[in-house]
Amino acid sequence: MLKLAFYGKGGIGKSTTVSNLASAFAANGLKVMQIGCDPKADSTAALHGGTRIRSILDLVRERGNDFALDEMVRIGDGGVICVEAGGPTPGLGCAGRGIIAALEKLQEKGAYEAYKPDVVLYDVLGDVVCGGFSMPMRKGYADRVFILTSGETMSIYAAANIAMAVKNFKGRGYASLGGFVLNRRNVPDEDGKAAKLAADFDTVVAGALDWSETVQRAEQLGKTVVHAFPESPMAAQYRTLADAVLSIERKGDAPC
Amino acid sequence: MLKRINGEDDMTGAEIPIRDADFPLPFVSGLEYNAPARGPWNIVHTGMLVPESHQVFACAQGCLRGVILTAAEMLEMGRMSWISVDKNDFFDGSLERNIVDGTAEIIRKLPKKPRALLLFISCVHLFAGCDFDAILDELRAMFPDIDFIDCYMNPTMRKSGLTPDQLMRRQLYAPFQPCPADPKTVNLIGNDRPTDGSSELVQLIRNAGWELRDITLCKDYEDYMHMAKSSLEITYLPTAKASGDALEKRLGRKHLYLPLSYDFDEIGRNLNIMADALGTAAPDWSDAKQNAVRVLEQAKEVVGDTPVEIDYTATPRPVGLAALLAEHGFRVTRVYTDAMIEEERPAFERLRTLAPDLLLTATVHAKMRFAGKGVHEHGDVLAIGQKAAYFSGTKHFVNIVSGGGMYGFDGVARLAKRMVEAATHEQDTELVIQHKGLGCRSCL
Repeated sequence: MLKLAFYGKGGIGKSTTVSNLASAFAANGLKVMQIGCDPKADSTAALHGGTRIRSILDLVRERGNDFALDEMVRIGDGGVICVEAGGPTPGLGCAGRGIIAALEKLQEKGAYEAYKPDVVLYDVLGDVVCGGFSMPMRKGYADRVFILTSGETMSIYAAANIAMAVKNFKGRGYASLGGFVLNRRNVPDEDGKAAKLAADFDTVVAGALDWSETVQRAEQLGKTVVHAFPESPMAAQYRTLADAVLSIERKGDAPC
Repeated sequence: MLKRINGEDDMTGAEIPIRDADFPLPFVSGLEYNAPARGPWNIVHTGMLVPESHQVFACAQGCLRGVILTAAEMLEMGRMSWISVDKNDFFDGSLERNIVDGTAEIIRKLPKKPRALLLFISCVHLFAGCDFDAILDELRAMFPDIDFIDCYMNPTMRKSGLTPDQLMRRQLYAPFQPCPADPKTVNLIGNDRPTDGSSELVQLIRNAGWELRDITLCKDYEDYMHMAKSSLEITYLPTAKASGDALEKRLGRKHLYLPLSYDFDEIGRNLNIMADALGTAAPDWSDAKQNAVRVLEQAKEVVGDTPVEIDYTATPRPVGLAALLAEHGFRVTRVYTDAMIEEERPAFERLRTLAPDLLLTATVHAKMRFAGKGVHEHGDVLAIGQKAAYFSGTKHFVNIVSGGGMYGFDGVARLAKRMVEAATHEQDTELVIQHKGLGCRSCL
């Protein structure tokens, strides 16, 4: 079972990228589970018509522990097993604690044993701001962390912070850094900046994605690009990224 | 508008005749009161059962008060240390580091290195997402000759998942890892006092040539670790069941849950299951049953029509005990319990017919704040359990918690004898219940 976590600055396109990777993996015959670790609970929306699914924390709030595993998931396009951790009311409560509770609940209900996914993708909110957001990279969860960034300064700054956290936790047997994913915003010397960032952390740019209107069109349809426009150049880029991620895993240890 | 709830004339909501009560939750949860008569052990008492162990509590200073007092009452202050948590620990990212460094420093300063260290983290660590596994990994690498046991003091989560009591009893056996089993050895898991040697359960085990192992009988750490090699696990307290289940899963050993009961048919069934597991023929229980009935009848002659009140700290089956006593002519008037376990359902239904006016009384309802010195204090009561004694104000009470180690038909007979003793002798109720955790070293 491949377990990959995707981090990055808010709004950088994590959910879009992760959902498209899920579609690409699924199209290759892999059984995929995508777990949204964001209180907004919209990570998997593009896999089920743009609608939101009931999050684990919604279930916990409404029914305590009195719910079954299959109520925590929804099967999306391409058979992707979709899960949303959810979180507290915005401005109240603790989002990190929500993620911890949701991931623990998934384990407690035996989600990984029951569904036996080939690939688990954790789509994690923003920066590693507290213990809750480092949970997906802990022992027993993701094996590898990929960080999305554009060439924008703030995005690179956030990506570097996350990479630093991954390095700091390495001695604990946490997930290792698989590499960066460049989600282009067409800023000057964008590829060069991403390459320098990767070099600073002794890792690679696992793949690059162009800015494309196709992504917005697919989003309006409530679908992934891979599903809505499989013949488009953008879909090809997502498939290439999926192959690159798999290739890093097959090589064994990532560069960092 | 605020209204004084003095409990003098209206106990609505805090007590209800069993005929009108809902099962398993007869009362609405709300503002809670904690009576000074606590009854059962807390996590500190239970943890002290691990021989040659030391406890370290990492928590805010305010929370330390209770656990330190418990250790002090037990005269076991030398077996407890603590690491206080400060808000700055959250700002500078030292929350986890302080636990590792603090625990290491404590171990180095102890006059003798403990064989096991029970490390308790608290609510704040769980809220902050501390990686307890990573903390323990680091400590295990530093002190490979100490067994570190992860323990939890998280009252904010006491109503979700396992209760602190269940969790503590489960963690009590955490060092046990898979290993070859000793034939004909059986563990009694999750009790905090030995089971009477005269009980049919113990007799069955010994007569079948099996060795009984129980943490309450362990003299040293070797004795305790021998339990890891036993071939059968038994539990009979509801709070211990999760512990037995965890051992069954981790060690691959059979676990039998044979619940403490006051129903003669259920007692016989449980003992027969035990005999079967031991590979021995189940004896005819008629004599044991007749003896229990005879002793109950003798007790009834002494107790007469004195009202009997029972609380849930004395036994996890107070309703079952009430049903047994009512069926044998006792005037059971009140059961103090805030909720009932599923196993109590048959007895609950029987009592609705047998003693419909019997009152179920909450122990944590806010109105109970005044019950101990008010509406319930009537003195002429035979109480079974500390809370019943406290609320009724009686000096005649059976001083037991969690079944008191009495099990089976023999357990019923012994309890009946204890009732006679209580009916005929006064105790200084206030003195006895001042200490937490009745039955621990500090209270005997």
